[in-house]
Amino acid sequence: METIVFYGFATTAVGSALLLVSMRNIARALFLFFIVLFSVAGLYLFALADFVAITQILIYVGGVLVLLLFAFMLSNKELLQQLHSGTSHFFALPVWQALLIAASFLAILVYTAIQGGTDEPAWITASKMAGTAIHPTDNTVEQIGLQIMTQYLLPFEVVSVLLMMALIGAAHLTRKEETP
Amino acid sequence: MVFYITYIIVAIALFGFIALFTLFAVYSERKIAGFVQDRLGPMETGKYGTLQTFADILKLIQKEFITPSAADKILFGVAPVVIFVAVFLGFAVMPWAPGIAPAALHLGLFYAIAIISIDAIGLLMAGWGSNNKFSLLGSMRAVAQIVSYEIPAGIALIAAVMVAQTLDMQEITRNQGIGTEDTLLFLGLWDVSDIGGILAWNVFQAPHLLLAYVIFFIASLAECNRAPFDIPEAESELVGGFHTEYGGLRFAFVFLAEYAMMFLVAMIGVVVFLGGWNTPLPNIGVVKLADWTTGLAWGILWTLSKTLLIVGIQVWIRWTLPRLRADQLMALCWKVLTPLAFLCMALSGIWRVWVIGG
Repeated sequence: METIVFYGFATTAVGSALLLVSMRNIARALFLFFIVLFSVAGLYLFALADFVAITQILIYVGGVLVLLLFAFMLSNKELLQQLHSGTSHFFALPVWQALLIAASFLAILVYTAIQGGTDEPAWITASKMAGTAIHPTDNTVEQIGLQIMTQYLLPFEVVSVLLMMALIGAAHLTRKEETP
Repeated sequence: MVFYITYIIVAIALFGFIALFTLFAVYSERKIAGFVQDRLGPMETGKYGTLQTFADILKLIQKEFITPSAADKILFGVAPVVIFVAVFLGFAVMPWAPGIAPAALHLGLFYAIAIISIDAIGLLMAGWGSNNKFSLLGSMRAVAQIVSYEIPAGIALIAAVMVAQTLDMQEITRNQGIGTEDTLLFLGLWDVSDIGGILAWNVFQAPHLLLAYVIFFIASLAECNRAPFDIPEAESELVGGFHTEYGGLRFAFVFLAEYAMMFLVAMIGVVVFLGGWNTPLPNIGVVKLADWTTGLAWGILWTLSKTLLIVGIQVWIRWTLPRLRADQLMALCWKVLTPLAFLCMALSGIWRVWVIGG
């Protein structure tokens, strides 16, 4: 049953992502992006990362996607027309960077899959033996909180300073220019 | 396999409950509106108009599906489903009684906040799909409002979570009554772990949570797009807002989602701040009122009655206060509620460390 649900989520994610990039209608593509994000959140659940899954929905669906939709709906129609009138051939010159990135990413994935093999990695077996593996019923958020406040305190603080800078920058940009 | 069938039955039961609640709430809302405005409300259908909402829903069900020819057919059709499912999913983690919750997640409250934000996507879908300027303006207003008011609401909830030290909604509820394993202090002074009742609710454990609850309540009104925050549906300006083009069963779903949302946010407030399924009656000496009125059936009764009371207050406010202007709405959110919510959060930290201790 879990396998069926997993493959359901995986097919939805990949299928709607493929549909998304081939779609001409930007509004529909953005709403398809919502389905992609949602099914990827479902896949996180299978990796026992429930906190990441819910954060994905809260930040990406509730925040970033709404922002994207707003930007799309409030932007100029002529501007969007220009975007449409690009070249549409699959192997056209302007897409070679994308092809390069996609191909190298695929190569990395294939390489790791071959390296990893089909057996269970040794470190997973070791942590199962030691009883330190995460179980579906574990309270992961407690662990995350402890880790952030101890081992990962410095990255956490750096990120918060970065966000603060972004916030101040955004506030500064939206201020009205003072008339001389 | 029985495992999965139970899930399906629970989901159907919840849906049935929401539908029944909506029928009841629409009737009572119209009656309360009538009372506030010094008129009778529905009187013709059935005794005192009691069959009015049943007649309404029958009418809606038998109506034809009309899609405007210029609308985006897919988005237009999917939007009401997304709006309703977003709210419906939120009910999955709500605790009803001791040990009774469709899913007792460790991250229950966080899940509820996150899943409600999907509602905004549904609203934008409806607004854009209708291809109507009133719908689009309505949905833009609604989403701007929901996204803004999520911040004070979320921070007010975090203030309570900092005192409760858990995101599990069952655990939060248990820590507000006689079932707790911790020490509960009334106003941080008086040990009420065995007395329970209203004294052990989160709002009375730490007095600043009373302020946090008021912030959450105001923000939750805005999140369900209800008066005084109903500019997305302002009839005098926008016809019907984002659901202008909807009719029949699709409109019924939008409407169902609105009432389900009212119930959901009221219930989140009740669980986090007002003791959830805990009884309001304390143990007084040998008169063990709290012990007597805690249990499965009592739990459901307390949850329902507290939540319906809060929904009643929402309705009362809707028909009493005038609508806020868009700039006043944003000013209230960003200049009043958000700083106050942050203040509550800071106080919660101090309270947890210095008053309750560790």
